[in-house]
Amino acid sequence: MKKPNLRTRSMRFRQTLLSRYLLIVIFAFLFIPIVFPLASIGYVIIQENSKQADDNFLKYGSSRELTAMWHGEAALLQETEAAEVDRRLQELKRKYKEASLFWVDSSGATKLQLPPQSLLPERWSPADAVRFMKDSIDSDPFTIVSFLGAEHKGRAFMVMQMPRSIIQLDRPVGAGTPFYIAALIGMISLFFLISLLFFRRIRKRLIGLQAAMALQGENGLPQPIAISRNDEIGQLETAFNRMVGQLKESAERERAEAELRKQLIASLSHDLRTPLTVMNSQLYTLQKEPLSEKAQAAVKQVEHKISGLDSLIENLLSYTLMASGRYPIKLERLDLLRIVRESVASWYPLWEQEGISADIDLPEEAMLLTLDKAGFRRVLDNLFQNVTRHAKNGSYIGIRMGTYDGRAALVIRDRGNGLAAHSASKGAGLGLAIVEYLLHEMKLGWHMASSDEGMAVYIFEL
Amino acid sequence: MTASILYIEDDLEIGRFVNEHLLEQGYSVNWQRSGEHALESAAGCRLVILDVMLPGLDGFTIGQRLKKAAPDLPILMLSARTSIDDKLQGLQFADDYLTKPFHPDELIARIEVLLRRSGARTAEPLAIKHLLVHEQQNRIENRDTGEEIMLTGKQFHIFGYLLRHLGQILTKEQIYEAVWGEAYIEGDKTLMVHIRYLREKIERDPASPEIIETVRGIGYRVRA
Repeated sequence: MKKPNLRTRSMRFRQTLLSRYLLIVIFAFLFIPIVFPLASIGYVIIQENSKQADDNFLKYGSSRELTAMWHGEAALLQETEAAEVDRRLQELKRKYKEASLFWVDSSGATKLQLPPQSLLPERWSPADAVRFMKDSIDSDPFTIVSFLGAEHKGRAFMVMQMPRSIIQLDRPVGAGTPFYIAALIGMISLFFLISLLFFRRIRKRLIGLQAAMALQGENGLPQPIAISRNDEIGQLETAFNRMVGQLKESAERERAEAELRKQLIASLSHDLRTPLTVMNSQLYTLQKEPLSEKAQAAVKQVEHKISGLDSLIENLLSYTLMASGRYPIKLERLDLLRIVRESVASWYPLWEQEGISADIDLPEEAMLLTLDKAGFRRVLDNLFQNVTRHAKNGSYIGIRMGTYDGRAALVIRDRGNGLAAHSASKGAGLGLAIVEYLLHEMKLGWHMASSDEGMAVYIFEL
Repeated sequence: MTASILYIEDDLEIGRFVNEHLLEQGYSVNWQRSGEHALESAAGCRLVILDVMLPGLDGFTIGQRLKKAAPDLPILMLSARTSIDDKLQGLQFADDYLTKPFHPDELIARIEVLLRRSGARTAEPLAIKHLLVHEQQNRIENRDTGEEIMLTGKQFHIFGYLLRHLGQILTKEQIYEAVWGEAYIEGDKTLMVHIRYLREKIERDPASPEIIETVRGIGYRVRA
């Protein structure tokens, strides 16, 4: 496996999530001092542009253009050519139909009025002029006063009054504020959207990684995943893939080891049992010969020892498997009493032969527990074997349902010499260790009670 | 009629002993020390006894091949491998699994059970107490009276199942599931009722049965 570099130098700063996160934070900090002025400037520009656009729609242009036009006209006219002034005003009246036009000569007499206005004084006193000017400021109609002559040096003046509705659109001050607010909200939303997308992407990838970890391939291990980007999560994915690889390797190693151990035990079992089988068969042949009583007893004892050795080998090999956690346990809901009955059925003939009377009292109802069938059979075999071997003198085995510490318990009772008899044989210790292991695996508790009357074994649900 | 047995065992001492023992019991034996020619040799055999650890092909492989070639030929595994895994693997195809060291009498008992179960029924009638069971004709005769005992289908099934497991104690569940082919429901009295009627027909004194023995708390047994 290629040795991975933990701190990959190829991961550049701008590829990191950190850099992107910092970008967003910076954006958030700059939001108030930059975005607000930007929005305001934008607003003003837009406002101006829209005003000009509005002006193009006005019939006679804006007030400024109209004023310029009027001053221009006045500059071309002279008080001395009164007829010319009248003619020009009439022309202008035709052009600007809504406007009221008049002019006043240097003596203050009102000359041509188009149309005639009753409110105008016949002769203008300085006070009249001032009042007119005062009334005209910021009022409707919009009033333009211009002195005649090239430099506007003359004392005569001409006036144009135009209704404001013609030269100005009806636009209240601050009409653009909603747009301004909308723009700001838009900017804020954009900011939120970017942060949200950023976070969502991270979240999605993390969830993907979590799913990959939970998913199990055919070998019970997670599968390696495709690396999406070369950032922090990408590094995490790389590390994850590396871990999956190591897990796979160690699982394979473990499997090989387990296989080797199983092989070893199998051949050990074979090599130990083959001579036992031969001894057994020779003994059988011997038994059929005419033998003295003493020889018969010796044969019987050797036979007994062979069977003891056999079960010792069996227990030893099983215990080796158990100690290394390789003993197969398959838990399922089973009727404990059914297994007990089947086991007793196979032991019964031997008990009859050995003169052990079996007192069996098991209820009809099923007692469903989570058990490993073969394992529980093994527990019973070991316990029954102990009774058969070490408590034979009691000539009794009782198998019934009872209680232990207030819990329903299977009770196996004998009338042997109690624990002393059981522990006299060292082999029993291994058999009981197997009982202990298997019951523990099945989450069952057990208790041995020894007394002068014999031994009682309780098996109960924890 | 002597049943011929194919016996595959590589260990000389064990092989020689078993071979002799089987011959003494009246079987004809074809003992081979490897499984190379197992398939050809199995033709005409009534039973195969197979060791697991053999030179060349192992007993599991040979057994599976034999079972494929002749599904009805009973196979008895006789192995020094006693782990549950091995037994389970063996019993996937084998009909029985006996571990070494074994008692020679038990080997013979298992062989007889297998031969009887495999339908290779002996022509000789089976004598149990006062009954004479002609397995081939599905006929049961009372030796006391010489009369034939007529059983219903279910009664015959139950009795036949007990006979095929002669000497073995069978639990109620085992009998029920073998005869009815469905899971036993606790507290079901059907089997007890059938056994009562069966006893009335075959026992001399149904109140104290001699043939179908009740093993209290466990089940029933028929002993030869």
